[in-house]
Amino acid sequence: MKYGDKIIKMEGVIVEVTDGAVAIDLKGRLGYLKVPMRMLITDYPLKVGQEVAWNMSFVEQIGPDVNEKYISNLDTYKKRQEEMREKNSKEES
Amino acid sequence: MSITAETAKEHAKDPAVLCCRREAGTVISASDLEDPAIFDDLVDSGLLNLDGALTIEQVIGAKLTETRDSLNPITADVVEGAKVVAEAEDEPADIPAGEGTPTAAPQAPIPTMAGPGGVLKIHIGEGKDINLEIPVGGLGNGVPAALPQSADMVGSAEAAISAPEVAGEEKVVRTLTRKHFNITEVKRGPETKIEGTTLYIREGIEAECVENQKLVTDLKLEIITPADYHTYSETIMDVQPIATKEEESEVGSGVTRVLDGVIMMVTGTDANGVQIGEFGSSEGYLDENIMWGRPGCPEKGEIFIKTQVTIKEGTNMERPGPLAAHTATDIITQEIREVMKKLEESLVVETEEFKQIRRPGKKKIVIVKEIMGQGAMHDNLLLPVEPVGILGGKPNVDLGNVPVAVSPLEVLDGCVHALTCIGPASKEMSRHYWREPLVLEALHDPEVDLCGVIFVGSPQINAEKFYVSRRVGMMVEALDVDGAFVTTEGFGNNHIDFAAHHEEIGKRGIPVVGLSFCAVQGALVVGNKYMTAMVDNNKSESGIENEVLGCNTLCHEDALRALAMLKAAIAEADIKGAEKKWNPNVKSTNIELVSNVTGQPIELVENEQSLPMSQKRKEKYD
Repeated sequence: MKYGDKIIKMEGVIVEVTDGAVAIDLKGRLGYLKVPMRMLITDYPLKVGQEVAWNMSFVEQIGPDVNEKYISNLDTYKKRQEEMREKNSKEES
Repeated sequence: MSITAETAKEHAKDPAVLCCRREAGTVISASDLEDPAIFDDLVDSGLLNLDGALTIEQVIGAKLTETRDSLNPITADVVEGAKVVAEAEDEPADIPAGEGTPTAAPQAPIPTMAGPGGVLKIHIGEGKDINLEIPVGGLGNGVPAALPQSADMVGSAEAAISAPEVAGEEKVVRTLTRKHFNITEVKRGPETKIEGTTLYIREGIEAECVENQKLVTDLKLEIITPADYHTYSETIMDVQPIATKEEESEVGSGVTRVLDGVIMMVTGTDANGVQIGEFGSSEGYLDENIMWGRPGCPEKGEIFIKTQVTIKEGTNMERPGPLAAHTATDIITQEIREVMKKLEESLVVETEEFKQIRRPGKKKIVIVKEIMGQGAMHDNLLLPVEPVGILGGKPNVDLGNVPVAVSPLEVLDGCVHALTCIGPASKEMSRHYWREPLVLEALHDPEVDLCGVIFVGSPQINAEKFYVSRRVGMMVEALDVDGAFVTTEGFGNNHIDFAAHHEEIGKRGIPVVGLSFCAVQGALVVGNKYMTAMVDNNKSESGIENEVLGCNTLCHEDALRALAMLKAAIAEADIKGAEKKWNPNVKSTNIELVSNVTGQPIELVENEQSLPMSQKRKEKYD
């Protein structure tokens, strides 16, 4: 990585807490982050609205190529979700 | 900041650097010197150049001949009266080095312990004629000053080194028999049964699984033979042995029946198609995503009975969701178990016997296994009625994650039904415990007396982490052991309690060896002075979570290194400090050292490079 050394303190707000994960909005509408519980260090019980901070850097591309494997996984995943949505709506009607 | 005389002694061999401006004529003492723990960062950032610096032990008491500013190393030309310390010989080659890449808290630096030369050889006549080589430095001034040098520490050191052990009679506490039944084909049929080596699973059983669990809306059953390995699968949540207890046997003793050649595999999504293991991401072609033969993984050639469970939308991240997926799958397993109970003895192809042996007089050790307990998919069912079953098992999250003592045979008999689903490369699945390498190696090592295994959950909140950690400390103290292992799976906030367990055990004067995936991505987030002996479970080429199931889990090679390291630590041999950055060569050196001592080569397992090269790895990681 070319710019890996630049560490920036980021802040965010917890917007969702489940049994397994926490979702965070980056302050300033800079993005959204959802991480499993174990990736958070917590001194207090987690609550929506708590502010959090972490160090990170910018995201860099590794190269220009597209990884077909991920494309195929993503397609399968989307297709399955569509099928399920269809099935769910049929069941409801 | 200046250092104390005590710190100066710990860092006697480290470079001497002034902490503040000092005038010519100053007689140098510890209070004039900077803490060597911060040097690495300063050198990295170019603020400090240690070329030609004398060591702390050389300069203390010497007189500064020139006025120097802070952060200037003290070199021979600016002092008079520097001590000439006998040149230390090359560091003894038989000191295992810590493999983790611990980031020490500034106030508790990991001591660098380079021992001076000279080797004391001890020959232990019993067992397999094992020669321990302990640096002589380890007996006296080389004892890491960071360790509490309480009277009983010294006492135990003497016991370890001078007094030959009086070995008592070996005692078999209990035994566990595994009867293996071979399965070569799995088919669907009108009823669940086993005929010869063919397992039939009742058609329509899926409906009952769905019926049984409120949260489960659909369940598909797939039979994956080796010819089908190249098929797409959702994230693999768990791999489980199919095993059952014979009548009146309990998990951990008596007789267990197990099917060879076939395993259960749990996968699933919620009704919106979102992976239950949302963060697991081992989805894709099975043959590109499974590290065959890892303790927790399938063996190449095995048939998978794979369920794809659909649970109610949005429940994938709540605790009942994943549990429902596992429970629904277990209905199929349970039906197979019932059939297995009635199988003819003549179908047994192999009988294995595990003995839990206590070896009084040998070094008593305990294994502390840290398991996840942060919430959904960070949970485990402990001690179900059937091996890796559901019924009777208690989630360790509900038990408050407090330490639970089990026998090594209970571990090997499936007392853990793992619900963890995060970090595919490092998670310990149910089958991992069934074949847990550290438990097996410690149990079979005639030089140690394994007294038990302690499971402790890793809660989410720090205060709870320290609560359970203090219980671990008390439990280990009560066991009165000579040494302990602490293992954990994966990385994240569980490394906070991992460190706390080391401290709780270490501060009681008990040597402790830690095992975890660290390498690059899992670098420890906290550290303390007791975390010196570490074994890294990493196998991946680049030291990262490579999305290949089971790749970076604890294997036999890690168990052997850990055992050798604990024996060395008990004998108070020095363990070199870990290097600042992850260096895979440390592991290979340690492997070589261990095989030199035992005379037996250690076979290393393969890593992801042995799998069919998926585009993903080719482009992303290599």
